[in-house]
Amino acid sequence: MFYRLSGIHHANYVSDSRIFKVPADRNLAAFVFLFGLAAPFILPSLYLNSYMLPWLIWTAAALGLNLVTGWAGQLHLGYAAVMAVGAYSAIHAARFGVPWEFALIIGGLASSVIGSLFAFAALRVKGLYLALTTLAMQFVMDWVLTHSPAISGGSHASLQSPTLALLGQEITSDTGYYYVAFGWCVLVTIFMLNLKRTGLGRALVAVREKDFAAAILGVNSFYYKILAFATSSFIAGVSGALLVATFFFLAAPEQFSVAVSIQVLAMVIVGGLGSIIGSYFGVALILLVPGLVNGFVATASQSLGMQINVETLAHIPNAVYGALIVIILLIEPLGLGKLYGNIRDYLLVWPFDQLRK
Amino acid sequence: MKIKQHIKAVALTAALAASATVATAQDKEAIRFGLCFDLSKSYTFISPQVAQAAQDLAMYTNDNGGIEGHPVEIVVRDHGNEPQRGVECYEQLKREGVFIFNFLSTPVTNAALPRVMKDSNILMQSAVGRGDAVDGEVFKWVFPVGPTYWQQAANDVAFIKDQLGGNLDNAKIGFIYLDYPFGQEPIEILKTLSKKEGFELELYPVPLPGSDQSGAWSKIRRDKPDYVISWLLAGGHVVASKEMRRNRFPIDRYLSVNWMNEVDIRNIGEQEAKGVLRGTNVAGGQEVPIVKTMLDTYYANGKGSGPEEKVRDVYYNLGLAIYSAGFEAARLGIKESGWPLTPENMKAGYESIEGFDANGLMAPVTVTSEDHGGGGKTRVEQWDGESWVPLTDWSAEYTDVVWEVIKESSEAFIVE
Repeated sequence: MFYRLSGIHHANYVSDSRIFKVPADRNLAAFVFLFGLAAPFILPSLYLNSYMLPWLIWTAAALGLNLVTGWAGQLHLGYAAVMAVGAYSAIHAARFGVPWEFALIIGGLASSVIGSLFAFAALRVKGLYLALTTLAMQFVMDWVLTHSPAISGGSHASLQSPTLALLGQEITSDTGYYYVAFGWCVLVTIFMLNLKRTGLGRALVAVREKDFAAAILGVNSFYYKILAFATSSFIAGVSGALLVATFFFLAAPEQFSVAVSIQVLAMVIVGGLGSIIGSYFGVALILLVPGLVNGFVATASQSLGMQINVETLAHIPNAVYGALIVIILLIEPLGLGKLYGNIRDYLLVWPFDQLRK
Repeated sequence: MKIKQHIKAVALTAALAASATVATAQDKEAIRFGLCFDLSKSYTFISPQVAQAAQDLAMYTNDNGGIEGHPVEIVVRDHGNEPQRGVECYEQLKREGVFIFNFLSTPVTNAALPRVMKDSNILMQSAVGRGDAVDGEVFKWVFPVGPTYWQQAANDVAFIKDQLGGNLDNAKIGFIYLDYPFGQEPIEILKTLSKKEGFELELYPVPLPGSDQSGAWSKIRRDKPDYVISWLLAGGHVVASKEMRRNRFPIDRYLSVNWMNEVDIRNIGEQEAKGVLRGTNVAGGQEVPIVKTMLDTYYANGKGSGPEEKVRDVYYNLGLAIYSAGFEAARLGIKESGWPLTPENMKAGYESIEGFDANGLMAPVTVTSEDHGGGGKTRVEQWDGESWVPLTDWSAEYTDVVWEVIKESSEAFIVE
């Protein structure tokens, strides 16, 4: 009923390969997009700059990781390192006087080069071995950042980002930062939506399912793997640069540590491998829920007048958060994206399916 | 018996007086201190003690009439050492009217610093964050009251010079450190001092998290330095003590950074650790007047803000020191410019702190608009098997050299 299928016939390939085959999906996406556009006027500034903005940037980053892990099936444990390459190259470029538009592209390209350079070495191995090689990249990057003051910005290892300016316009307000993040996230999402229906997307899926089977079909798996790494690294690089330019305002090695790599991977897995909407949900769960639960527990204990030790208070949200992840993955191992898909499938014919029973 | 009755009487009158003053203190608006701490991940070795100290000190202050009649409120939140959540905590508390912040984590402080500077709020960052923030002319809103790692290292060298008879010409000083920015920070100043004083400097990097030190210590055994200055953390000291025993390096030549507490000492073994040295800007032990007061007034009656065990820890004293300076700044701010307390008044309050030592709790600090560190005085204390014994007086040496490094680093920071 909500996702009406009546009267929808795909009579040709163009119509069949549309992004949104059901009008309800398209309307929903349009609604979410409009909400995103209007968010600065609807949401209080706290939600805008400490929840929405990081959520959108991390979603863009997670979508990039989803490309290589969800679509091409290559486990990547060094994604934060790739983001760091982008962030540091873009900031250094911007500090050098390069306009931000180009600095961001430089960041993306630098990530792309380093990311696929490692992939070259890494792609001689598969599965867990590949995962370990990418993990090695993370450690190499950590080491480089903590041992080269020229890159990391002095003995304190914090590198200030110059004021972001796009199209000759200095961006300093929360609303401005939000729109930059929103724009980037929308761009990546559109790219990913389209990827599904291109030859490249299908080739990546073929490589994921069985790379030698793909080779028999004439898909050069090595080429597509490299391409996946390069593309996802580009997205990572720009996302990393934007994260620093619009949220942290200075780059420090801890913002791109191995823990962050694991976190992004968790976002993708909890969200659902190969699911776009899942990435949005996954990021929300991993990134925002700890803070929200923390605030909730703090207010709850305060309003109930409970005298809880600060340490216990800090650990309750962690327990809740951990339990949430386990419960979600128990209910639906394919992640939050699949959970949404289940609900959608149920509502597709509801309530008419009830008549049969 | 008599003494007990006496104490009871004193406590009773104190309680009565307190309840009377509490009534007046709570009529007025509160001064709120925001503590966005890492209470669940990397900094848990220190943050609970500091938070507890802040809460105890606030309770004590409120029981005694508050700060110029205004009660103090401590707001504690966890950020799990994640920069993103630290920023979120800052943004949230900022909107709730808090303008005095402490993040007690270097990554999170760094992430919040640009925002705090832009919003002109007060950032207390003693013991964490970038060292050049003591330069008050650049970092107007940052108050890292206490020594920088540079100053601490310089004071350590001065101590060694003193111990070796005032001459370092033939001396050899080893520096064992965790090989990441925290440990690397003092290297530059040590190199400068080595040139100036003519001692030989040997560097012994240790990979994170400091559990593998065997290579470094066998090198130390060969090099035979007169003293080893250590920039290790928590468990690193325990590993170092084992290695020292194995390599026959006397533990009383091991001079630790301020990050060594009773937990580490217990892990080494209280008797084993006898003789170990520690540079500090806060007096250790429970004989310090304010710590004694806390134990007697609150913990003896089971009214402390947390377990008593945490009070018997030098990091509790550190927490008291940080917040004593903060409360003193608030008091001076209100006294000078009246209520309401604004970030500007608080800043002015901080900058008029003069020779303040919180009744023997810490090195006397004099904060000025140029020096937000308050002078960077430290002393060296030695573990005698039961408690910390001071070996020297509070002092800050080689300040000219240290300030050169500070200025060189701070001038790269652009304030928008």
